[in-house]
Amino acid sequence: MASNSQNGRQTNGMMANGGYGSDSTSLPSIAGPPVADLVSQLEDYTPTIPDAVAQHFLSSSGFQTDDPRIVRIMSIAAQKFVADIANDALQHCKMRGAGQTNKKNKDRKYVLTNDDLAQAMSDQGITLKKPPYFM
Amino acid sequence: MILSASGISNSSNSLPDPSVTEDSYRKCLKMGVANILSEVGFDSTTPLALETLCELFQSFLGELGRSSRAYTELACRAHPLHADVLLALIEMGVPTEGLSAYAFRPGRKSLANPQPAPPIKQTSILHTGDRPASSRSKARQAGGDFLPELPDSHAFVRTPTHKQPVTDYVGVREKAASQKRDVERALTRFIAKTGQTHSLFSTNDTNLFPLISPERLMPDQPLLPAYINALLFKDQVFEEDEREFQPKKKKEDDPLDDSDDDDPPPPVPTTEKMKSSDPIDSDSDEEVKVEPPPSAAVVPVQESPVKRNRREHDGVIENPFLKPVRMPRTTATPVKRAL
Repeated sequence: MASNSQNGRQTNGMMANGGYGSDSTSLPSIAGPPVADLVSQLEDYTPTIPDAVAQHFLSSSGFQTDDPRIVRIMSIAAQKFVADIANDALQHCKMRGAGQTNKKNKDRKYVLTNDDLAQAMSDQGITLKKPPYFM
Repeated sequence: MILSASGISNSSNSLPDPSVTEDSYRKCLKMGVANILSEVGFDSTTPLALETLCELFQSFLGELGRSSRAYTELACRAHPLHADVLLALIEMGVPTEGLSAYAFRPGRKSLANPQPAPPIKQTSILHTGDRPASSRSKARQAGGDFLPELPDSHAFVRTPTHKQPVTDYVGVREKAASQKRDVERALTRFIAKTGQTHSLFSTNDTNLFPLISPERLMPDQPLLPAYINALLFKDQVFEEDEREFQPKKKKEDDPLDDSDDDDPPPPVPTTEKMKSSDPIDSDSDEEVKVEPPPSAAVVPVQESPVKRNRREHDGVIENPFLKPVRMPRTTATPVKRAL
């Protein structure tokens, strides 16, 4: 897993993306052992998404396993992904409402709109386009 | 709800439930994503945004599964390991550091495994026919085992329950007369209640004997509502000839009697006769072209004016006591006089 120390983001071989919350100049950290520990800790864990649902979607793409921990790991990874995007969208929503701070004590009700979501996704690299009208 | 490890393995070995479709999984996924959103801090979301996130989740899982499978097969294995999953995550660019922290975050919610819905209970149908023994035997006798059972006997056995209608003349006439009386009474009461009333007594309380008042609030207001004419009983006209005996509109002038020309000549009784030829001709000019055949028998002259009178008077006055008084004729030339 050697990589160029100048550019931490060079993708030769397999490399963990260290752009999220870590320094780009430092060596990318491989979160191997923690994940192994996590897997062992997932014996009695219940993720947010039910296991049967995750199992169904995984099996529809060819992934078949009898070990529930693997399924849970993947479910957690997907949940985290979605939660991160939702968090970004919430920040956007709050920034939008920050212009009217005194109104209603900073907009107690946060509504997830497509615009906030599109902005949050574009930060992650996913483009979201919606036709302006229905055909 | 704690999910046992056997649950998953059982589900992978058991036969797929035909009632569970792709949509049901999608719905559960939607619920889960909504759960995640509420955990993050949102109070509500647009449906499009929720759908987008569901699609994102599904695509992510699908790609993760495919990629992990690929790595497993690359390593010549059949069963995936967590290392394959890790590699797949890395390839997709998902950071792995925060996974552990996210997994054991405080205040996390989890949804229970979706349970299959209870089967819809069949509403019990009342069985009134003979149950299984005889009906089944009938079915078996009829065609064989492959035929379904006959439905309940009430489904195809009918017994007429209505009485034969009354056909005797007396009963029908009585019924018609009572119906007519009731309808007229009801209509008069209705119009009296809804319109102007005229009181016979000094007190204005007309509840006892309501009379329809002919006065109108506005001069052009009709006396009766338009639908009354359709509700009143009228005698039936069976033959055109009989219209001659029906009451007609009152004509003011004699020349207007020419409208009678439209009527076909009534069946002239052969006993009819005219007194003289000249008055006869003038008579026939004025009235319907009632031209008796020249060979008609002699008839007293009074018959023609009688017929005229009948035709002249309005249909309202049917009661002979209400007809205008007819002075008896003394002279032999009544035709020109009776106007």
